[in-house]
Parts: sequence; C-alpha cells; structure tokens
Amino acid sequence: MYKISFKFSIMVTTLALAAVLAAVWLAKLDREHESRAMLLPDRVMTLFPDPKPVTAFALSDDKNRAFNLASLKGKWSFLFFGFIHCPDVCPTTLAVLARARGNIAKNTVGAENIQFVFISVDPNRDTASKLRQYVDYFDSSFLGVTGDNAQIGNLAGQLGAAYQVAITPGVENYPVYHSTAVFLLDPRARYHAVFTPPHDAEAISKRFKVVRELEAGNAT
Amino acid sequence: MRWRPAVIVCLLSALSLVPAASGGGGVSVRDAWIRETPPGMAMMAGYMELRNDTSRPQVLVGASSSGFAKVMIHRTIVKDGMAGMVHASRIELAPNGSLNFAPGGYHLMLMNPKQLLRAGDRAVINLEFRGGLVLPVDFEVRK
Ligand SMILES: [Cu+2]
Repeated sequence: MYKISFKFSIMVTTLALAAVLAAVWLAKLDREHESRAMLLPDRVMTLFPDPKPVTAFALSDDKNRAFNLASLKGKWSFLFFGFIHCPDVCPTTLAVLARARGNIAKNTVGAENIQFVFISVDPNRDTASKLRQYVDYFDSSFLGVTGDNAQIGNLAGQLGAAYQVAITPGVENYPVYHSTAVFLLDPRARYHAVFTPPHDAEAISKRFKVVRELEAGNAT
Repeated sequence: MRWRPAVIVCLLSALSLVPAASGGGGVSVRDAWIRETPPGMAMMAGYMELRNDTSRPQVLVGASSSGFAKVMIHRTIVKDGMAGMVHASRIELAPNGSLNFAPGGYHLMLMNPKQLLRAGDRAVINLEFRGGLVLPVDFEVRK
C-alpha cells in the first residue's frame, strides 16, 4: 500500500514537473521564436521547406482572360478548388477566405500582392460569367478560374488536389468531389504551403503573416 | 415465425414515441439557420443543433418544406482527400443525446428555393421522425 502510493506520488510529481517544464519551454519558444513556433507542423498549415515550382498550365479567368503560370508570378496566391453548385464546403471555405483576406489587408504590409483564386473543377456548369457573379458575392477581389478538364487536371495534379466530377447523363445535380485544402503559392509560383480544414480565418491570416516574414528574412 | 411478436412490439413502441417526442422535454432544435448563397443558386444548406431530451432513441428519417422543391438530409464526408456529400436516410439520436448539423458535416440540403432568400429571411422546415412525429422548425437565413 505504502509502496503503491509512494510510486504514485513520484509519478504525479514527475508529471507535474514535466508539465511545468513544457509550459516554460513553450512560453519561451513563444516569446523568442514566435514565428518558428507557429510553423511547427500543425493542423492548420503545412509549410514546405523546399517549395516546388509550378510548371506551365493554361486556364482562363472569370473575364475570359488567360490564367496561366504568368498570372501566379509576383503575387502570393491562395488557390481553392471547388464548384458553384457546392452548398456546404465551398461557401464555407470562401467565406473564411474572405475574412482571412480582410485580416491580411489590415495587418500585413504588401497585402496588395495577394490573390485569392477559386478554381472550378466543373467547367460544364460553371461559365466565366457565373463564376464572376459567384466569387463577387464573397469578395469582389476574388478571381474565378476554370478551363478545360485536362488543364484543370494539370494544375490540380501539380498541387495534389484530388477531384472527381461524376457527370451522369440526365442527372442535373451530379455529384462533384473535390479537395478541401487551400493551396498557397509564392510570388515565384512555387507551391509553398497548404492549409487543411477545418479552415479558420484568424489562423490562416496569422500563419500567412509569419510565412511572409520568414520569406522577407530569407530574401535579405 | 418466431420473430413476429418482436416486430409488432417494435412498431408499437415506435408509435408511442409520438407523444413523448412532441411534448415538453422532447425533441428540440436550437440555432437553426440557412446559409445565404449568391443569388440564383439551386442549392442551399441548413444547419441546426438537434436535441433528443426523451429517454428513447429518436430517428430522423426525412425533411420537407414548402419553400423548397426538395429537402434532403446530407452529410459531407472526406474520402481520399476529397469532400463529397452522401444522403443520410436515417439519423439516430441517442436518448438525451444531441447532434450538430454544422458546415462540413451533416446539413439539410435545400434544393431549388421557391423564392430568393436573403439574410434575415425565415423558412420553416419540417423534420420528420420515425413514428410519424413532424417537427416544424423556423430557420433564419444568415450570411
Ligand atoms: Cu448536401
């Protein structure tokens, strides 16, 4: 009996000590290396140490202008793949991204060099004008993009964005399955980071700020 | 056949759920809302918190509304890195349990709204439970 409770008290003491040490360490990390601490692999964002350059692709935007590799250069791009008829995931994500863009515009220097792009994987239904109207609802600065299936597949494939359009003859509301991630490409059109759901505007804008700061640090 | 009495007992108990569920402390809904969509969208999604304060399981089997051509119970699921929706033909609520219909999960799929719904508008959706209980729920459209 004595033995057990003695062992138990040692265990409790050890755990308590470990917790205190961890708290101290985390607090220190937070103070001194706030940016690093925020970049530990987590459930919000995965940052790639060696970003992979995106190669040529040819899509078109919601004003029927070309959207290609050049459109990604010189800007940070948030890319999301979806479709207009999507009632749950797409409006939820676009609403979050609109709030994130608002936060970034308020808190980040150089926020004008960002673009948010909604890429429809359902070009059969989602025309340029419908896309314009759709993204406008969430944020007038958002860009709607689509194109032919091979080219959507080209870009999606480079980012590992899975999707499947199950067009069924005679079925108006055919199902579309699509990746829920938000892809971040840097101004050199490299696949820099990916945000995974559940998406949160605060978390996205905060991490994006850190990414920008790190990149600025690397550049100098 | 030996299982017949069991089936009858089940049916009887299902029928007895009706008064239990419609009275106080029955099945209730909180925070019922429909996400406003860009104009002209054929599909909208409704969310709510569904509570079963009875001492028996309650089974949601369908939904309808005069404001939409069709209402279905859907669940967003993520499989192989892709999100899609599946039709949920029945959802069982445990006794004294609750279930959250929230973005990215269960939702009421509201097809072809008969009029344009803007934030602040309201729509009644009838939730249909096994045993015949119909619970009319007032949903608020929110941005
Ligand atoms: Cu649905």
